[in-house]
This record gives sequence, structure tokens and C-alpha cells, in this order.
Amino acid sequence: MKIIKLVLAIMFISSAVSAGAQVAEKKSLTLEGANTVIAGAMAEAKRLNAPGGVIAVVDDGGNLMALERIDGTFAAGANISIGKAKTAALFKKPTKFFEDVIKNGRTSMVALQDFTPLQGGVPIIVEGEIVGAVGVSGAASAQQDEELAIAGAGALMNGSSEETSTAPVTYFDNGEVRAAFAKGMPLTEVAGYKVHASRRTEPGVAEVHTRDTDIVYVLEGSATLVTGGTAVQGKTTAPGEIRGKEISGGESREIKPGDVVIIPAGVPHWFKDVKGPVLYYVVKVS
Amino acid sequence: MKKIISILLILAVPALLPAKAETPVKPVLTLSAAKKAVEAAEKEAVRRGATVVIAVVDDGGHLILLERLDDTQVASVEVGIGKARTAAIFRRPSKVFEDQIRDGRVAALALPGATPLQGGIPIIIDGKVAGAIGVSGNTPQEDEEIAIIGASAVSDARTPGEKQ
Repeated sequence: MKIIKLVLAIMFISSAVSAGAQVAEKKSLTLEGANTVIAGAMAEAKRLNAPGGVIAVVDDGGNLMALERIDGTFAAGANISIGKAKTAALFKKPTKFFEDVIKNGRTSMVALQDFTPLQGGVPIIVEGEIVGAVGVSGAASAQQDEELAIAGAGALMNGSSEETSTAPVTYFDNGEVRAAFAKGMPLTEVAGYKVHASRRTEPGVAEVHTRDTDIVYVLEGSATLVTGGTAVQGKTTAPGEIRGKEISGGESREIKPGDVVIIPAGVPHWFKDVKGPVLYYVVKVS
Repeated sequence: MKKIISILLILAVPALLPAKAETPVKPVLTLSAAKKAVEAAEKEAVRRGATVVIAVVDDGGHLILLERLDDTQVASVEVGIGKARTAAIFRRPSKVFEDQIRDGRVAALALPGATPLQGGIPIIIDGKVAGAIGVSGNTPQEDEEIAIIGASAVSDARTPGEKQ
């Protein structure tokens, strides 16, 4: 009897597992979410003084969930905005992509059914999943249509997850980085952090950064690094920076390529001995 | 001098009159009025536990505002817009056509641009049809009752179909 129960239990578990593999779960947009998108686009329309606009939000199947037409906007904009949203949702891409493809010569694409390849439709993405799309028509230009759509889609993304940003990304190609390491110089210094491509050929002085934490990654060469203790004859050389002749006491380590050292703000450190040029990548966090 | 002015006035007045006769003003349904209608209809739908699409169109039958309540069948989007458009451009509740067809006037099915299904109600402002509201997703009777409540929230005349 016990064996039968066990077999049944195993059968039950395996059927549950296979059912789980056959149905995946996906996020779905609610009317509340759709209205948040519309409110975001409307606020942007007001900010940009848009002469009009129709904002349509569709679900992941391209079916209309909510639509608003600003007073005075040409009536045809209603269907065009729905078309843009539908296209962005079903093709999972901003509609500008298709407008560009067609403009660049793939004219036959206009033959696709139920397809509005006009700039102004963008997918709504929540935590990496496309849950629908927003389409705008009737603003000052196709460009502005898209700006309103992006603002609308962004309103939901900001609301549902951690804050996102459109701040520019900084990129250094390896040539630039190599050149910086050849001299030993900062790659960038901005509010909040600094990144240095450091190079050291001889022993240094004792350093204390009272504001910056140093995160060091050793790339080449080796050195004796002393941390802690007290800086001998320490003087303030710049705001937040103390320099001294050497360190008395403290902890000594041999550092080599591949090592990572984190020196908290305020902790004295000193490259006491250096073998060959030591190249190390430092992120200074303020 | 006075005479000249009065002659000018006489000349000016008739010039204004024909222009007025040729382009009379009409009431326009604003987005904020449409929101008021949808809000009232939505409240009623939620009270009944009805999952519906609520669409408001202008006097040309073009969409101004639409809401699909969560979990409403997606097919109701087109049907809801169709009912509203029918009520707006034919200036009568869409139920009129459903009744005509049921009573034997099958030819009404051929009307261009008509969705002859109960649930579309005109919105009347200053005695004129300024737009309409269409509801779809529930029983025809309930759809229309919700639409009437929405239309009544903004119509300044008795809404067609409204109980007296």
C-alpha cells in the first residue's frame, strides 16, 4: 500500500512538473498601468506645448486598452495612433525602425497586413518583458509623436521598478586605456567617482584620502603595499588629501597581477617597494 | 458724418448674417467631458462587476477616449467603438437597428458603418448629437444601461433610452 502511495505521489509530481514546463507566465498590463502611460505622455505633451495628440495603449496582443485624444487633434490620428501601438507591440520594436527600413529601400515591407510603419509607436517594457505598446499621432511632428510615446512608456517603467536614467554612457576603447596606462593618468573624474589608469615605477609616499575609497585591481608588476598604521610627518596637501613620508606600523602585503585591494576612505597606504612598472586600475569612490 | 456711420452699420450687419447662416456653430465634445462620461460608466460597471470596454467618439464617429477594464474580452474593443460610432453618425441608440433587424428589416444589416448592436448611446449637448458612448463586453441590456449612465453624466438633454 505504501509503495502504491509512493508511486502515485511520484506520478503526481512528474505530471505537475511537465504541466509547469508547458505553460509559462508573463506579465500583463492593467488598465491602471495603461492610464499611467497615457498620463506620462500627456504631461510631456504639455511640457513640449504639443499642438495636439492621440495616445493609444495596447496590450501584448496589440488590442487597445485605453486611448485619449487631446481636444482639437485631427480625427484620423485616433486610428493612426492605434496602428502605431499595435505595430510596436506585435513586432516588439519601435515603429521608427520600420519607417527607416522602408525609407532605406525595403519598399515591399509596406505590403504587410495590419502594419503602420510610422514613427511614434514604442513597446512598453517592464523588467525586461514587453507588456504592450504606446502609439502617438497628431503632435507637432513624427519626431514629437515618438517623444511623447517614449515619455509615456517611461512613466510606467519608472513607476514599477528602481529609478532608471538616460544619462550618457562613458566608453574608453582599449587603445585609449592602454595610452593612459603608458603614462599613468586618470581616465575620468566626475562627481561620485574617479577612475585612474595608474602606473608606478618607484616607491611612493604615504597617502591618505579622507573622502575617497580606493578599489585597486593589479594588472602588471608587483609591489609591497603597506596599509593602516600612521602616516609619518603627514601634511594636508589638498582638500581631503594627506601625504606623509612613510607609514609606521600598519600591515604589509605583496600585491601581484590579478589581486584586488579595497582601501576605505581615511586609511593610510604606501607603495613601499615596487618591482618593475606596476600597472593598476583604481576606482575612487567618494 | 453720423449718416455715413449708420450706412456703414447697415452694410456691415447683413454681411455678418449670411456668414452665420452658412457656418452655424456646433457643440464639440471635449476630452474632459468624455472623461466624465467614461468615469460614470466605469463606476457603474465596477458596481455591477461587469468587464466592459467603454468608448467615446465625437460627432464624426472618431474615437476620443477608450478604456478596457481589466480582464475584458479583447473583441469588445472593436464592438464597443462600433456601437459608439453607430450611435454618433446615425444619431440614435444602436439598439434601434438591432430592433429593426429582429423585427424583419434584414436590409438594415447593409447600412454602411453601422454596428447594429444594443449598447451605443448618443451624447446630446445643446440639443445636438456631439458624440456617443459605446459599451461592450457584457449582456446587450447591461451594456446599454452602462452606456446610458455614461451619456447622462454629460448630456444636457434626456438621454435617448433613459428611463423616465
